Amino acid sequence: MKILVVGAGQVGYFLCERLSLEGHEVTLLDRDPARVHASQDQLNVLVVEGNGASAECMERAGIKQADAIMAVTDQDEVNILACLLAREYGVAKRIARVKSIEYLSRGAVLSKEKLGIDLMINPEDAVADELANLAGREGTFDVAEFAEGQIQFLGYRITKESPLNGLSLRELGEIRGMYRFVVAAVTRHGQTIIPRGDDTIQVGDSIFIFAHKTDLPSIQYLLHIEEETKHKGRRAFILGGGRIGVRLARNLEQRRFDVRLVEHNLERCEQVSAQLGKTMVIHAEGTDIRTLLDEGVADADVFIAVTDDDRTNILCSLLCRHHGTHRTMSLVNLPELLELAPSLGIDACVSPRLSAAGAILKYVRRGQVLSLATIEGSNSEALEILVKKGSSLVDKPLRDLNFPAGAIIGAIVHKNSYEIADGDSRLREGDRVLVFALPEALGKVERFFE
Amino acid sequence: MNIALTLRILGALLLFLAAALLVPLGCALICNDGTAGAFLISAVICAACGGGLFGGFRTGKDLSVREGFAIVTFGWLAFALFGALPYVIAGGIPSYVDAFFEAMSGFTTTGASILTDIEALAPSLLFWRSFTQWLGGMGIIVLSLAILPMLGVGGMQLFKAEVPGPTADRLTPRIQDTAKLLWGVYVLLTAVQTGLLMAGEMSFFDAINHSFTSMATGGFSTRNASVAAFDSAYIDWVITLFMFLAGINFTLHYLALQGRIGDFWRNEEFRFYLWLTLGATFLLTLFNAFGPYDSIVDSLRYSAFQVVSILTTTGYATADYELWAVFCQYLLVACMFIGGCAGSTGGGMKVVRVLLLFKHAHVQLYRLIHPRAVRLVKLGERPVDKEVMQSILGFFALYMGIFVAASFVMAALGMDLISAGTSVITAMGNVGPGLGTVGPIDNFAQVPVVGKLVLALCMLLGRLELYTVLVLVIPSFWRK
Repeated sequence: MKILVVGAGQVGYFLCERLSLEGHEVTLLDRDPARVHASQDQLNVLVVEGNGASAECMERAGIKQADAIMAVTDQDEVNILACLLAREYGVAKRIARVKSIEYLSRGAVLSKEKLGIDLMINPEDAVADELANLAGREGTFDVAEFAEGQIQFLGYRITKESPLNGLSLRELGEIRGMYRFVVAAVTRHGQTIIPRGDDTIQVGDSIFIFAHKTDLPSIQYLLHIEEETKHKGRRAFILGGGRIGVRLARNLEQRRFDVRLVEHNLERCEQVSAQLGKTMVIHAEGTDIRTLLDEGVADADVFIAVTDDDRTNILCSLLCRHHGTHRTMSLVNLPELLELAPSLGIDACVSPRLSAAGAILKYVRRGQVLSLATIEGSNSEALEILVKKGSSLVDKPLRDLNFPAGAIIGAIVHKNSYEIADGDSRLREGDRVLVFALPEALGKVERFFE
Repeated sequence: MNIALTLRILGALLLFLAAALLVPLGCALICNDGTAGAFLISAVICAACGGGLFGGFRTGKDLSVREGFAIVTFGWLAFALFGALPYVIAGGIPSYVDAFFEAMSGFTTTGASILTDIEALAPSLLFWRSFTQWLGGMGIIVLSLAILPMLGVGGMQLFKAEVPGPTADRLTPRIQDTAKLLWGVYVLLTAVQTGLLMAGEMSFFDAINHSFTSMATGGFSTRNASVAAFDSAYIDWVITLFMFLAGINFTLHYLALQGRIGDFWRNEEFRFYLWLTLGATFLLTLFNAFGPYDSIVDSLRYSAFQVVSILTTTGYATADYELWAVFCQYLLVACMFIGGCAGSTGGGMKVVRVLLLFKHAHVQLYRLIHPRAVRLVKLGERPVDKEVMQSILGFFALYMGIFVAASFVMAALGMDLISAGTSVITAMGNVGPGLGTVGPIDNFAQVPVVGKLVLALCMLLGRLELYTVLVLVIPSFWRK
C-alpha cells in the first residue's frame, strides 16, 4: 500500500516507523527542513519537504499514486485541507488528526462525512480517556475496550504479594471455572510471549487478560486488588494543565474523583479554572513537593503527570510515589523512556502515539478489523475482528481451524452473548472475535480471517 | 469633553420630553380636568429650550465616553427639572422643590411621594406621574435611542452609561435595534397587564396607571391607600406577578418570547432572584401567619406582595408593614438593598452584584485554606472578569459610603435613626416607602427642603448606578 503521511511530529514519526515495518511504501511530507532531515536519517521512508495544504507539494509527494493519506500535523485546518485535496486526487482512505470539538461532535456542521474523511483521530483526547480509565481501574496499567466496552483487555503487573505469583497457566486454568478470563500474553524483561500451560507467572511480569466487564469484580478479588468501596472522595492529582490535563480532569470529575490539577503557569491556571467546574487548580511547579504535600498528595489515590516534558512527568511521578501516593501514572512520549516505566515503579506510562496508532493502523489492515490496541513497549496488538458472512471458519470447533501460532483467540462476542474461547468454541457469522497477536503473527491472523 | 455636542444632544432630549408631554395633554383634553393649559405651556417651554440648544450648537464630532456620562446624567436631571413644570403650573403641587422631588421620584421609578392626598390631584396629573415612571423604567435614553436616529452614532456610550449593569447584553448588532426590542417587550407586557387588571374590574384609568408603574417597578398609585384600595386578591396577585416579571432581565423576556424559555433557568442571576423571592416570602408568610393575619392564605398574599414589591423596588403597599414583626421589617429593608436583576427596570444594588460579592467572599475564604489554588469567580459557567469584580467591589464601597453619608445629612436635619436610614436606602434603591416617618402609609411631605434635594440626588445616583453620576465629580473628567 502506498501511504502519504503529512506531518513529522510525534504521531507522524511513529506511524511512519510502524507502517514501513509492516512493509508499506510510506512518503512523509513536512514543512520543517530540520525535521525532514532528521526523519530522512532515521526512517525507512521517502521524506518530502513542503506544505500539506498545498496541491503542488502534495503532487511532489506523489499523492496521485497514494492509496491512503494520514494528515497528522498539529493544525486541524492543515489536516482537513490535506484530506480535501486528497479527495480531489482520488485517494481512497483519508485520515485526519483533528483536535477541535467543532468537527468531532455529533451534530457538527462540517462533519467528517461532509469533509470526506474516513477517520478523525485525536490522540490527546484518546490518551486522556485512557488515563482516566486506568485511574478508575485499580491495579491495571493498560486498558483497552472492545465491543463497545463489553470486553476489556487489561494489563496487570505481578508483585511479590500477588496470588498469581508462581502459578503455572495450567494451575490457573483449573480455577478458571470460577474466574472467566484468558491470559493472552505475558511480558517479561521486555519480551512478550503467549503463555502455554507449563509457563509460570513470576514476579515482575506484566500479564494481559481478556475479560468481560461483568467479571471484573471477581478478577479484582482474585488478584487481591481491593475494589474501592468508597467511590466518593477518591483524590486524584494531575500535573500539567494542557489539553490532556483538562480533559483528564473533566473525565475524572465525572467519575467522582476529588481532582486537583497542578500547573506552573498562572495565566494557564486561570484558563483551566475557567473551563473546569469542581477541580481545584493549584499554581505550583510539579517538583514543589511542599505545596503538593500541603494539598494532600501524600494520601492521594492517584497522581497523573501529563506535562509536555517526559522528564518532568517521570521525575514528579517518582517524587510523589516516594512521598506515599498510592498510584502514579505518567505520560511518556519517547519510546526509549516508555520501557523504563516498570522498573522505575511507575504504575502506568501512556503515550499518545500508541492510542493514535491503534486507531489508524486498523485502516491499513486487510480483513475485517473493527478496532485494535497496541501494547506498551512492544509491537503486539489486540484486535477485534468481524467474522464475515460465508466465511469458511463458521461452525467448526476452534481446535480444527489451524489458528496461526503466535496469536491467541481471547473472547468471542455473539450477538447477545459472549464466551471465553477454548478448543470447542465455534464461530458464527457476524461474531466479533478478540485476538491477541505478536508482531510476527499479525499478517497471518489477517489472512486467516480474510 | 465636547460641551457643544453635549448641549446639542441635551436639546434633542428636551424636544423628546416636549413630545412626551403631549400624551398627558391628550389625557387632559379627554378628562377635561382643566390641566390642558399647564401641559401645553410646559411642552412649549420644553420645546423652546430644547430647540434652542439643539439648533444653537452644531458640531460634527462623535460622541466619546465622557460625553456619554454627561449627557445621561444631565439628561435625567433635565427631565426631572422640566417634568416638574406641569405640577407647578397646574397648581397640583405649588412648591417647585416638591414638584421636582415628585418628578425625580417619577423618572427614577422610585415612587416616593410628597403628596398627602393623592386622590385630590387632577386625573391627568396622576397620569403624568405614572407616565414619568413608565418612561423612566426602561430608560429614557434607551427609548431615545430607539426613536431618535441622530443618536445613532456613539449610541453605545449612552446605552452603557444608562444601563451600566455588570453584564452587557447585546441582542442585535445595532444598539438601536436592541433598544427597540427591549421597548417592544416592555410595551407588550404593560398591555397584557392592563388587560388582566381590567378583567379584575379595575377601571381603564386605574389599570393603565398601575400597569405603567408596576412594569417600571415605580410604585406610584392613583389611590391614597396604594394597591390596598382595591382590596382584591386577584389584583394583588396580578400585580405581584408583573412586578416579579419586571424585576427580571428584559433580555430573558425577549429570548423567552423567541421560544427560548429554558434560558430563564440557565441564568444564574434569575435562579438566585427566584430563590431570594421564594425564601423571603416563605419567612414572611411564616411570621405573619402567627401575627396580624388569621389564615395562611392571607398571610401568603400580603407577604408575597410586599416581598416582591420591595425586592423589585416597586414600593406599592397592600399592608402597613410597620405593624408587622420587627424581623419582617428588617427582612424588607435587606431586600431594599438587593433590588432587581441587572437589565430589569428594578433598582437597588442588583441581584447579580450581591451574588458576585458573596461568591468573591467565598473565594477569599477558600484562598486562606488553599493559598496556591487558583479559583475564579464564575457566573453560570463563565468566569467573571477581574475588572468586573473590582468594579463591583468599588460599587459596593461607594453604595455603602453614600448610604452612610446621606443618612448623616438626614439625621442632621432632625430625622430619627430609622427614618433617616431607610429614607436614604429607599431613595437610592428607587423603592419608594421606607420605615418610620417615611413608612408605607406616610409620605415625604414633612422632610425638610434640603433633605428632599439630597434624596432626589440619591434617587438619581441609584437609578444610574453611581458611576455614571459620580464620574462627573472627578476633576480630571472636565480637563482635556
